[in-house]
Amino acid sequence: MKKLVEFFKNRFKKEPDVEGPDAEELRIAFKERYHHFKLLLNANNSALEIMTGIEQALAGKQPFGMSFVKSNCIAITVSLMRLIKNLEQLSEGKYNQLYARFDDIWNKISVLIEQKKEGKDERFVIPLTAVDRTMADLVGSKMANLGEILNKVNLKVPSGFAITAHAYQYFIDHNDLQSEIDRRFIATDITNMEALYTLNADIQKLIIEAEIPKDLETEIQNAYHALEQEMGVPVAVALRSSAMGEDSAANSFAGQYRSELNVRSENLFHKYKEIMASKYSLTAITYRLNKGIRDEDIAMSVGCIAMVDARSGGVMYTRNPLDTSDSSVFINSAWGLPKAVVDGSVDCDLFVVGRKGPIQISFKDIKEKKNQFLCFADNGVCQFDITEHTKDQPSISDDEAMRLAELAVRMEQYYGSPQDIEWAVARDGSIYILQCRPLQQMETLKMDYPDELIWKTKENVIVSGGIAICPGFASGEAFAVNSPGDTVNFPKGAILVARQALPLWASLLNKAAAVLTEHGTFAGHLANVAREFKVPAIFGLKDAMSKLKTGDLITVDTNHLSVYAGKIDVPAHVAAPEKSIIEGSPVYNILLEVSKHIIPLNLLDPYASDFKPENCKTFHDITRFAHEKSVQEMFNFGKEHNFSERSSKQLFYKVPMQWWILNLDDGVREEAKGKYIRLEDITSVPMMALWDGIVAVPWDGPPPIDGKGLAAVMFRSTTNRDLVPGMKSAYTERNYFMISKNFCSFTSRLGYHFSIVEALVSERTAENYITFRFKGGAADNQRRIRRIQFIADILTDHSFRVELREDNLVARIEGFDMDFMIERLKILGYLTMHARQLDMIMSNESAINYYRSKIDNDIKTAVLSKKN
Amino acid sequence: MKVLFVDDETDFLDIIIKRMKKRNIDASGVSDGEKAIERIEKDPCDVVVLDVKMPGFKSGIDILKDIKCRWPLIEVIMLTGHAMLDAARAGMESGAFDYMVKPADIDELYYKIKDAHQKKSLQESKIKGIENMMKEKV
Repeated sequence: MKKLVEFFKNRFKKEPDVEGPDAEELRIAFKERYHHFKLLLNANNSALEIMTGIEQALAGKQPFGMSFVKSNCIAITVSLMRLIKNLEQLSEGKYNQLYARFDDIWNKISVLIEQKKEGKDERFVIPLTAVDRTMADLVGSKMANLGEILNKVNLKVPSGFAITAHAYQYFIDHNDLQSEIDRRFIATDITNMEALYTLNADIQKLIIEAEIPKDLETEIQNAYHALEQEMGVPVAVALRSSAMGEDSAANSFAGQYRSELNVRSENLFHKYKEIMASKYSLTAITYRLNKGIRDEDIAMSVGCIAMVDARSGGVMYTRNPLDTSDSSVFINSAWGLPKAVVDGSVDCDLFVVGRKGPIQISFKDIKEKKNQFLCFADNGVCQFDITEHTKDQPSISDDEAMRLAELAVRMEQYYGSPQDIEWAVARDGSIYILQCRPLQQMETLKMDYPDELIWKTKENVIVSGGIAICPGFASGEAFAVNSPGDTVNFPKGAILVARQALPLWASLLNKAAAVLTEHGTFAGHLANVAREFKVPAIFGLKDAMSKLKTGDLITVDTNHLSVYAGKIDVPAHVAAPEKSIIEGSPVYNILLEVSKHIIPLNLLDPYASDFKPENCKTFHDITRFAHEKSVQEMFNFGKEHNFSERSSKQLFYKVPMQWWILNLDDGVREEAKGKYIRLEDITSVPMMALWDGIVAVPWDGPPPIDGKGLAAVMFRSTTNRDLVPGMKSAYTERNYFMISKNFCSFTSRLGYHFSIVEALVSERTAENYITFRFKGGAADNQRRIRRIQFIADILTDHSFRVELREDNLVARIEGFDMDFMIERLKILGYLTMHARQLDMIMSNESAINYYRSKIDNDIKTAVLSKKN
Repeated sequence: MKVLFVDDETDFLDIIIKRMKKRNIDASGVSDGEKAIERIEKDPCDVVVLDVKMPGFKSGIDILKDIKCRWPLIEVIMLTGHAMLDAARAGMESGAFDYMVKPADIDELYYKIKDAHQKKSLQESKIKGIENMMKEKV
C-alpha cells in the first residue's frame, strides 16, 4: 500500500521546471515562435481581407479589370505562402502536407488566370477578297463582316486588305509592350478619371513610339502596292480599327477605337500605330472596364480600304432601334463622307422607308446641313462649310433612299437579324457598303403616369424637343461638358449636357444618369453606347446648353422628350432598370471561377475528424486550418517543454478567478513567478478592453426561461458529450486569454456557449483586426439560430461584418484606429457575458425586444461611457 | 536598421529613400541587381527591397536567389510593378520575406521592413545563443 502511494506520488510529481541556460534557450525559441505567430496572423488577416475584396467585387456594383483579378491572386498567393511557411516554423513541419494542397489549388487558379487565345493562322496581311465571317478572330469583326458582304452577299464594297491580329501580337511582342502595359494598369486607380486619363495618354505614347518589325512592314507595303496596281492610281485609304469582339451583338464598342480617313502611303505606318494605340483610348479603356472585357482578348486588326470619293454618306438601321415592332428602314444621311453622321456632330437628313407592301418612303426630314466632311488633297479629312443652296437640299434622292432600303432588307435577310450599316454614295451614283454590324434594338418603355405626376411635369418643363435615343427617366444635377478636360470632374450620377453628341463623351456613360445634347442623331456612336449602357438620352434638344446650367437639379423624361426643374419621383415601374453590366462578362466570369478555389470554407469545425490538411479544398480552408493550428502550437509550447514561464497561469483579481492567461510576449508587466497573474500587471491593450466589457455590467443570471426553454436545454445536454462535466477536451475546457501587448486571443466556454475573440490592436492601423466566433448553446436549433441572428444584428449595428452559417457566427472588423477597436472589444466582452443564455427566451417576441433595448442601453451607458 | 532599395526607376528610388530616412531607416539605393550584389559585398545590410524586373543580365528572382544563398540572414522583400503570378510564387519559394505589388502603401512597406528586420534579429540572437552554449560546453 505504501509502495502504491509512493508510486502515485512519483507518477504525478511534476517534473522540475527548466532553469538556467536551457531556460534562456527556451525563451529565445519562444520569442522566435511568437514572431512567426505574429507574421502568420498578419498573413491570415490579409488573406481574409483579400477574400472580402473579391466577394465585394463579385457583388457586381463596381467595374473591375483583369489587373484587379491578377493583383488579388498574387496577393492571396503570397499571403498563403507566408502563412504556410510560418506555420512550418511554428510547428516544426508538422503540417507540411499543406504545401501539396496549396500547389494543387494554386495550379487550378493559375490556369484560369493565364489562359490565352492563340491564333494559329500566322498571316500578317489578308486581302478582303479572301475574307469572310468565320475569320473574325484573325481580322476582327468589322473586316470579317465586310469580307462577308463582298464575297457572300455580293454587294459593292471598296477594295482593300486586313492587317491581322497576328500582326498586332507580333508588333506588341517585338517591343515587349504587354508587361509594361500591365504594370501601368496595376499602378492606376481605375475609379479615378484623371488617373485613367494619364494612363491612356502614356500607353498610347508607348505604342506610337514603338517600332514596327521590318518583316511586317514589308508585307504591309507589298499589299499596299498591290492595291495601287488594282486601282491604277495612287490610292488613299481608310484605316479602320477592326478589333476582335468588336461589333458583336453583345458589345458594340461603338466609337471606342480610331479610324483614319484618307491616309496616303507616306503616313501609313504612323497611322497604323495610332489605330493600334487607340485600343487604349480613354473611351476604350473605360468601356472594357465597365463591360468586364479582358484587355488581352482584344487584338487590334486594322482594315486598310480604298477611300470612296463620297458625294453623300450616312448610316442606316434596318429597323427602328427604339421599337422592335416597327420594321421600317431608318436612313440618316449627310453630304460628303458618312463621318458627319457617325460622329453625331452635324444635323442630318432622315428618311424612313416602309417595307410592308412595296418599298416606299413614309417619312422625310430634311435638315439644314451647315457643313460636310471631305478629303483633303494630300492627307486627312476636313469639315467644310456648305455655303451654296445645296445645304437645304436632300443629301440623297428618294430613289437612292429606296435603293439603300432594298440593300438594308437584303442584308437583314442574309444575317437574319436587324443591322446597323454605314454606306456611301460615290459621285457616279454607285452605292458602297462600308461597315455592317448587328443593331441593338430596345423595347419601348410604356409609362403610365399618375395624374399628379402629369400635372407636376407640365408645370416644370425647362426645355423639350429632340429625339429619344434611349428611353428612361432620371434625375440628377446637370453637368455641362465643353472640352475633354471637363470629363475629369464629371460627378457620378450627374446628367451629361453637351452641344454635340461626340464619341468622346462615351467614357462618361458609366457615371451619367442621363445624356442631353443639342445635336446628334440616333445613328451616332454615342447613341449606340447610351443604349448599350441603358442611359436615358435625348439628342437634338435645342438650347439645352443655354437653359441647363451645371449644378441645376433636373429630371429627364424621354417619354415626353422633356427636361423638368427639380427632382421628380416616378413610380417604381416607370423607373429605369438597374445597370449591372459587369456581371456575366469575361473578366467577371474569370474572377467567379477563381473565387471558387479561394472563398468557400469547408473546414468548419476544428474538433471534427475531417479537420485535416488533406481535406483543404480552397485557400480559405488552408487559412482556417493554419490559423487554428498556430493558436494550438502557441498554447501548447509551455506545456510540452515543461516551461512554466510560457504555460498558462490563473488570473488573480481579488481572488483567483476561473480565467487562465498565457503570456506570449509582453502582455504582462513583470514575469510572474507563481501560478497567478494579477489583473493589475496585465498590459495587453485588447485584453483589458475585453475585460472592461466583461465587468461593465454585472450579470444577473440567466433570464427567466419559458417552460419550453428549459426542456430544450435538458435535452441537448444529454446528447452532447462536450457539455457533460468530466469530458473535458484540450484548451477549450476553460476560459483562456493568450496575450501580448497588442494581441489577445480569448477563448471562453461559459455555460453551453463557445466563443473566441481574437484581436490585434496597435498603432499599425491597417493591420488592426478583431474576429469573433460564436457557436453552440443548449437549446433547440431554431432558438439557437434566432439568438445568433439577434447577436448578429447588434454586431452589425456596431460596424462588424457578420457571416452566419447555421448556428455559427463569424464577425470581423479591420483597419480602424485603436480607440475604435478598443470600443468594439468592450462591446464583445459585454456580449460574451450577457448574450450567452439568451436562447432561452428566443421564442418570445416581446422578451426579445426587451433584451434588445436593455443591451443597447447597457452598451450606451455602461460599456462605452468610460473613456480610457 | 540598414535597408537597400534596388529599382531601375530612379524617381521612385529617390522618393522611397527620402521617405524611409524620415522614419529613421538607414536607406540607400542602387539601380540594378549586379550593383546590389557589389554593394552588399562591401557594405552589408539587414533588408533588401528588390524590384523583380530590372535591366541587367539577371532577373530579380535570380538576384534574390544569389542574395539568399550568399547571405541567408538578409531578408528580401520583393516590390514590383509587374503583376506576374508565376514570379510571385517563384519569389516566395526562393525565400523572399514578402512580395508586394506597386503601388505599395508606404506604411505597409515600412511595417514589412520592420517585421523582416525583427526576423533577422531573432535569427541572429538564436545563433548567438547556440554559440554561447557551445562555448560553455567546451
